[in-house]
Amino acid sequence: MKFSRSVEKPVWESGTTNSLKGDRGIQGVNDVYWVKQDEAYDKIQALKNDPQRPFPTLFDIVAIDESERQNRPAGQDHRYTLQYLLWNPDRGSDKVLVKVPLEGNDPKIKSITPLFKNADWYEREVYDMMGVTFEGHHNMRRILMPDWWQGHPLRKDHPNRATEMPPLTISEEDLAEYDGWEMLSSGDSYIRRKDEDGNELMILNLGPNHPGTHGVLRIMLTLNGEYMEDVYPVIGYHHRGAEKMAERQTFHSYIPYCDRIDYLGGTTNELPYVLACEQLAGIKVPERATVMRVMLAEIYRLCNHLVWFGTFGHDVGAMTPVFYTFRERENLFKIIEMITGGRMHPNFLRIGGCSMDLPVGWQEPIKLFLKDFDAHVHEYDNLLVQNPIFKTRTRDVGKMSLADCYEWGVTGPNLRASGSKFDLRKVAPYCGYEGYEFEVVSHTDGDCCARATVRLGEMIQSARIIRQCIDLMPEGEVMSRDNRYAFPPRKAETMMDIETLINHFLAVGWGLDMPVGESFVMIEQPKGNSGYYVVSDGRTSPYRLRIRTPSFAHMQTLPALSRGHLLSDLLAVIGAMDFVLADIDR
Amino acid sequence: MKDFWHVINTLPQEQWPPLYSAIQSLILGGVIVGALLSAAGYLVLLERKVLAWMQHRVGPNRCGPFGLLQPLADVLKLLTKEDSLPPFVDKWLFIAAPAIIMLTAILSLAVVPFGQPQWLVVKDLNVGILFFLALSSLGVYSIVLAGWSSNSKYAALGGLRATAQMISYELSMSMSLLAAVMLAGSLSLNKIVEAQSSLWFVILQPLGFVIFVISVIAESRRAPFDLPEAENEIVAGFHTEYSSMKFALFFLGEYVAVVLLSFVISTIYLGGYHGLFDIPYIPAAIEGPIWLLAKVGFFIFFFIWIRATYPRFRYDHLMELGWKYMIPLSVLNLIATAVLIILFPTLGGHK
Amino acid sequence: MMQILMFYPSAVIAVITTLMVIFSKNPVYAVLYLIMSLFAVSMVFWSLGSPFLAMVEIIIYAGAIMVLFLFVVMMLNLGQRRVDEDLRPPSGKALILPGIFATILLVQTIACLMAGHPQGGTQLLNDPVALGHAMYEKHYLGVKLAAIILLIGSIGGMHLGRAASFPDTKEKDLL
Repeated sequence: MKFSRSVEKPVWESGTTNSLKGDRGIQGVNDVYWVKQDEAYDKIQALKNDPQRPFPTLFDIVAIDESERQNRPAGQDHRYTLQYLLWNPDRGSDKVLVKVPLEGNDPKIKSITPLFKNADWYEREVYDMMGVTFEGHHNMRRILMPDWWQGHPLRKDHPNRATEMPPLTISEEDLAEYDGWEMLSSGDSYIRRKDEDGNELMILNLGPNHPGTHGVLRIMLTLNGEYMEDVYPVIGYHHRGAEKMAERQTFHSYIPYCDRIDYLGGTTNELPYVLACEQLAGIKVPERATVMRVMLAEIYRLCNHLVWFGTFGHDVGAMTPVFYTFRERENLFKIIEMITGGRMHPNFLRIGGCSMDLPVGWQEPIKLFLKDFDAHVHEYDNLLVQNPIFKTRTRDVGKMSLADCYEWGVTGPNLRASGSKFDLRKVAPYCGYEGYEFEVVSHTDGDCCARATVRLGEMIQSARIIRQCIDLMPEGEVMSRDNRYAFPPRKAETMMDIETLINHFLAVGWGLDMPVGESFVMIEQPKGNSGYYVVSDGRTSPYRLRIRTPSFAHMQTLPALSRGHLLSDLLAVIGAMDFVLADIDR
Repeated sequence: MKDFWHVINTLPQEQWPPLYSAIQSLILGGVIVGALLSAAGYLVLLERKVLAWMQHRVGPNRCGPFGLLQPLADVLKLLTKEDSLPPFVDKWLFIAAPAIIMLTAILSLAVVPFGQPQWLVVKDLNVGILFFLALSSLGVYSIVLAGWSSNSKYAALGGLRATAQMISYELSMSMSLLAAVMLAGSLSLNKIVEAQSSLWFVILQPLGFVIFVISVIAESRRAPFDLPEAENEIVAGFHTEYSSMKFALFFLGEYVAVVLLSFVISTIYLGGYHGLFDIPYIPAAIEGPIWLLAKVGFFIFFFIWIRATYPRFRYDHLMELGWKYMIPLSVLNLIATAVLIILFPTLGGHK
Repeated sequence: MMQILMFYPSAVIAVITTLMVIFSKNPVYAVLYLIMSLFAVSMVFWSLGSPFLAMVEIIIYAGAIMVLFLFVVMMLNLGQRRVDEDLRPPSGKALILPGIFATILLVQTIACLMAGHPQGGTQLLNDPVALGHAMYEKHYLGVKLAAIILLIGSIGGMHLGRAASFPDTKEKDLL
């Protein structure tokens, strides 16, 4: 067999390469402030209330263990970097990063929970994962790991794998000490067991195994009759250490793990990760790959919303919609299977493009599906959303105002249901979304019914974008030729000469060294805004990868949404929220 | 023997000798109970099949042709499952609860007339409707006791929901029934059917009919009124702790209740065994049961149809609907019926 | 014959279950015994030839009132102290007045039985139509008075239970 080489030359042969390595700084945020430990609170307060450029929303709190960094700026020798990502959705997704160096092994810092309501869980997570204590936090306890866990997993000195640790043994005393919800009833209990008049309240432990919680979510409820006095979500049952895993995987081999974060979102999980890596390395993605990414993202958005629609219907007691929407989703999965070879976890995107080109004749099945879908989406509207029982069950349930949404870091369709027109695809377009025609669906009620309406509208808009993708799909490559960082070329092309072969072998077997730097990308996922913060130390795997998921932020609002409602409303609120436990716990 | 046949064909039930009465009750009762239990089993299959058709699924099709042996497999499975008795339950009440629900549902069928001849009703009580109401009000105990004796929070919540719901809807159910009783001038179900020989009560009582059907669905705790066993909220409600055959009794009890209530709706509002036309080549004695069963079949389908279509009510809306709408409307219906009867004394069964 | 077979067992059950109401320690069991007692009494009515009364007894007492009793008893968590209190043997003084009443009732019952009209009213109550005529023609005034008293009672109850009479109570607590 004779190999022919008709492809264009790799980048490094074209002679336009600049330095292969070099610090690329912090990408993806508008400003970075380095603030001392004791000034952090005031700085964040000043940023939040700045009259010219306010930042009403806390997007994420990330801690980085710097102890094993090799490429650090001169003079930096602090142990941890704590960074607050503040954000203003109103001003075109204006983002700033407040970086706080922390000294010492177990540092303490003032909590910002008085400033931002959603700092509660983020600070707890940092405490759990890194061992940074926040002074003034009202409930400084572990959130993802069990209470008896020793060590803080995301520290560099914590073992990566179970085999590196002594076997886990739980003694009888440990078990006696750790007794389910009893641990919560001690000390400054968050679950009230008596009302104002001293009457005993009923405590109901909903989950972690419960048919209505969509997974291993546990919600502790204090009930007065059927009215919920107190709601306390307990998460972490689905925690798999996705962020820790990234530190062992190469930049490329981590892509399949992204699929498992929001397992209903498919490529929309891979997208922010590969975008962040591409931004870090400065890779330009071919046009065809970008359009493919948009098309797949919208197909997965449809998939996600279809599952959400069916399960929401089931949550309020309608058993039929779930079968209709799963039929639709099955058809979509056939299309996804045709394009990517996978279904829920496609592992299709690569840093620099997509893993393969579209199959021959890919347009026809999609067009057929869209034709059916247009008819069916009205059927769903009539079957569930227009149903009078559904309306009475979801109207005025789980209401949240726009200001509260900002305060809680609510994003995505849930934010748009509260009257915002914010959609990252419009406000801060990525992947060329500015070139597509679609409307941002919005509703002003802010209740569960509004969330249903918004998502139903989004499905129609997604279908519209997919249509445009079919029309716009350009010809050409699907993988960047920048083979310093992008995924290596196909094997057939590597068989030409020994250099390319060795290059391919190293790139696949060893991994590609990414430039030093930090990169942040947030995109509009089906469930809300997801942000990937990639820290590279110039080696083959991420030094630290932070995954900010929408479900985590939304689950944190559950007490605020459901307190004072009936027990049945809890399920409506949970259903309308659209979360996935893997997305919460990572 | 000839005498027995002659007596039960000609004389009214009150004048039968006690022995004949006992024989007739035993035979017909046995037939009904046997038919009812197997019907309930097949009703489960029917429900699964109909739901499957409505939801683009196939439904059970592995056991026998079209899954026709599925009920048999279900029963065998349930019988051979471990019959667990959790240590924290109140033992006797826990066991008694599922028995009560079956008993009350099956006994109620004793007063339903299946056809024209006297012997096609087990016992033609002159208080037939009251008998039905009394037994349906006793059925509440099954749920309450199951919820209480399970000693579990989900079961208790389910039991409480069920009690409040069934008590509330019993009122509108009885009141809409009363209007029909006024029209017929009798509490006997047989007399009520006879009163509809020319005009079905559904035409005279459209409002009462709608109220009765809604109340009956609520009374049988089926979707959209299945709050006591809302699996998304309270796992399985009052029967969370039940397993094996005790669970099966609740399960069957629900379907027996569906059959029974379909019988009652057809009897009181749709003319019972009266048909729309004579079916050719069929003896008159069998024609009645055929018409009745056709109506019952429609209502069973209706029950399943409703289940596939509607989301579940919320507790406070359920109470609101019951107390603020159904009961006032049924009182209104009662008054309107009274006025109607005074204005047109020949209406219904009145002489 | 049938009447005897139905009457005496039912009557015995009624007496035993009523005694059990008094002696059972668990309030839920007490309520259940009371229901059984009512059920037995309704059987007694039936055996005496009045199915109407029997059915009404079950619908009203067993079906509606006792369910509410059970509902409330289930909700109550009396606690061990209260149960212990209830189980203390009553003092002799407390038995005097009930004792006198019980004796009078017993004497009356025996006197009635001796007088020999055990089925006095049942002929009238045999048929719901006859009962209707009796209630709304013969005893019209009594029925109306009772109805008015009931109406007043229910209006009074609603008035007392209004949210406004308890300023601290939220409306949802009254639902």
